Amino acid sequence: MNTPTDRDLILKARRGESGAYGELVTRHQVAVFNVCYRILHERGEAEDLAQEAFIRAYDRIHTFDVDREFSPWIRRVAANLCLNHLESQKVTTELDDERDADQAQRPESVVETNERNGQIRGALASLPANYRLVIELRHFQEMSYDEIAVQLNIPLSDVKSHLFRARKILAEKLHAPD
Amino acid sequence: MHLTDHLTDVQLNEYLDEAASERAQIEAHLISCGECSARLTDLQALFSELESLPDLALTRSLAAPFTSPRSLPVQLPAWFPLTVTLQAAIALAALVIAAPFAIRLFPLPAAPSLGRVFIQLQTQWTAWLDRLPAASQFKMPILPSLSFELSSLFLMSALVVVSMLWLVGNGLLLRDQIK
Ligand SMILES: [Zn+2]
Repeated sequence: MNTPTDRDLILKARRGESGAYGELVTRHQVAVFNVCYRILHERGEAEDLAQEAFIRAYDRIHTFDVDREFSPWIRRVAANLCLNHLESQKVTTELDDERDADQAQRPESVVETNERNGQIRGALASLPANYRLVIELRHFQEMSYDEIAVQLNIPLSDVKSHLFRARKILAEKLHAPD
Repeated sequence: MHLTDHLTDVQLNEYLDEAASERAQIEAHLISCGECSARLTDLQALFSELESLPDLALTRSLAAPFTSPRSLPVQLPAWFPLTVTLQAAIALAALVIAAPFAIRLFPLPAAPSLGRVFIQLQTQWTAWLDRLPAASQFKMPILPSLSFELSSLFLMSALVVVSMLWLVGNGLLLRDQIK
């Protein structure tokens, strides 16, 4: 028996076959949660928003174009929810403020078995939220500058400056001698 | 860009993001300049470190709300809202067709004045109150036997069925808003 594709599962879910959408969620939940986690750096919030992303997607399952890939779409839905969440919380810091994020951010201590991965997560968590967003969209969702500008509704020049500054901060934190 | 100038951070970033307009010139400089190619290697290393960050595990399954059929909201197909207009049109047509029959069966009395209606109601109410002690002797009134024509009966039933469909359809559509 062949494993059903995402497309099969979406079509089944549309026909009301119980369990089909659940299987789709099971397939993509870790990836979607990690999108939220990389942006929010708070586990509880990230799980809640990942859940919300799947609920939103389910509500739109009848209008989703099945010829598109489900994974990039659901990850964009999740990133967008995180953006709205940050905006509603006014966590987003001043756009040009390259403040020392260490004091303002409270990176959650995650059980990270690999020390280097822990350092990378810590460095990501120390970034201002809007920098984390562009890092997520460029490096993990492989969006172009233009696509990021549209998604975040910011000028192209801001996309570049946020991205380049974020990388500079990350490089400084990760390559600094201990 | 002069070949002897070092590449800027912006150029290196855009080059790796495949968004640099002067790719050939940047590549020409990178071949001849060890310093800039070392900076590029560092930036590349950062990219791959970021992108190879492993996924964290979830503490709960997000599929839970979608696995029990009872918790799943019923999904209405996209064409469903369109049927509401159709239902409304059919109901209206049925009403128009059935109206003459209904009027014939239940002829409307000449519109009484509001005062007379009140007086009638009051009279009926007091008459009913008077009869109340004799409730034990109350007999079910015998309904007059109406000899419906089949066509009228059919049209009346159709009107009722269509109205019910309309109500149910609207109820389904408004379900989420009511909640
Ligand atoms: Zn150089």
